[in-house]
Amino acid sequence: MEIIRTLLMIPVAFLVGIIFLGLHRKIIARIQGRPGPPIQQELYHLLKFFVKEMTAPETASKPIYFGVVALLIGAWMLGLTVIVNGYNFLILLAVFTMHKLVEHGAGLSSGSPYGKFGGVRSVYSTLAEHPLFAVLAIVYLKTNSLMISDIVAYQSTHGPLLFQFPLCALATYTIMLSKVHHSPLAIVMAKDIVTGYKTEHFGVLRAGILTGESIEIFVLMSLFMLVYIGPAPLWGYALGFILLLVSLSFISALSPMLAPYHSVMFEGSIASVAVLYYLLKGVIL
Amino acid sequence: MIGLGESLIGLIKLGDIVLYLTPTTLTLFLIAVGFTVVMALSRPETQVELVFGMDGYKKSEIPMGEIKFRRYMAIVCGVATAGTMITGDIFDFALFVTLAGIADVGIVAATKKPQVLDAAYQYGMTLMIAGLPLFGAAALILGTTGTLSLHELDTIRVSGVVAVLFILGVLGEIGVAPFYAAKARLFRALGAPYIIMIHVSTLLIIVRTVEIIVTLL
Repeated sequence: MEIIRTLLMIPVAFLVGIIFLGLHRKIIARIQGRPGPPIQQELYHLLKFFVKEMTAPETASKPIYFGVVALLIGAWMLGLTVIVNGYNFLILLAVFTMHKLVEHGAGLSSGSPYGKFGGVRSVYSTLAEHPLFAVLAIVYLKTNSLMISDIVAYQSTHGPLLFQFPLCALATYTIMLSKVHHSPLAIVMAKDIVTGYKTEHFGVLRAGILTGESIEIFVLMSLFMLVYIGPAPLWGYALGFILLLVSLSFISALSPMLAPYHSVMFEGSIASVAVLYYLLKGVIL
Repeated sequence: MIGLGESLIGLIKLGDIVLYLTPTTLTLFLIAVGFTVVMALSRPETQVELVFGMDGYKKSEIPMGEIKFRRYMAIVCGVATAGTMITGDIFDFALFVTLAGIADVGIVAATKKPQVLDAAYQYGMTLMIAGLPLFGAAALILGTTGTLSLHELDTIRVSGVVAVLFILGVLGEIGVAPFYAAKARLFRALGAPYIIMIHVSTLLIIVRTVEIIVTLL
């Protein structure tokens, strides 16, 4: 039953994710006074990339160069499985780990200096993003479980965790912000290094990366809604998704790209403030 | 059921090393093993570097002798990381983390780049210093609770100070901030498959540490 539920959700997550990626670009364009591409533009990109030739640079470490794309799609499908079936949050942290390894592996495996810059930036940003993601584990001390199904059930009787752990919610939101395109924190795919770790992945491989990113955005938004808002009707989740996306797009449109160290310091500060606040409040110890 | 709300899939008793499998630890273990296998089968990339002052580039390759040594150290790192993921004993966890850290230094120790070797040396110093809080925390846990088994510690609350010491020890051993923010310099060395093993071990150990800390508190 769980497998069937997950399989049914894969196309939904993919379609919602890729439309959201297009909507994100559209909102940014409108804020900046441009007409912007159509909302389905990312889907067009993906279909175009899928019919392109699959090649690799002759300097690349082939198993890793190709393997990271499969890993990205596999990782976020595992993440979707966790979300759909309410499994342990720590598996999602492992999924996020795999995503960072993809960024790193894709960047380093090609032999391109631009990819390598993206890969090294991924390592820097990991030092802040990982703790930022892990901060969510603090809710365990209230819910006594890290199973997402248990966390949702807890909120049905005690109210949304958003108001009990606002700093944890801010940390998870920051993670989402760092993963959307054109974000001030998206240093690993910044334009000053072409497209960072994705520079040397083109054609079918780029389509694979886009597929993984589409599922990723769905999983991250679902995680936020499930862990901080809790049980809600379908329209409530849809509204929450759109509000989250619009807020992310506004920040992306109005903020300049931060320098790598500033980005890491910003993310690290949020994680540190969250942990210190809950330490002082006596929630952790 | 164990503390995080997960079902226990099984226990594997190897003398005093008791491995336990839950969906989370099994997932982490499989990631570590998977990456180790892929890394062991991969040849390193050829790095293309621009030449300043002219319109040209040069290619850098790793000599075969260096590849063999670094691959061996990366496999050791992968095995240690896999052990870290499923061990059910705090002391064994500390040992595996330390071994992964030493192997991380070994992976880059064979390179010839001075800035990479310098970073590896500093990381090695951090490793040695971090051993004190890490093993000290394990000793304090044994002294105050009478057990090192994570399965039993699930029902016993450990002092917050010990948990903080434990975290500090792990952060030092895996070489991340606030102790050593320059670990990323290690990643400038050639050899994507081996360098990625350093990243794999660091990130997976962070995930497992979160699980252990949540269990201890």
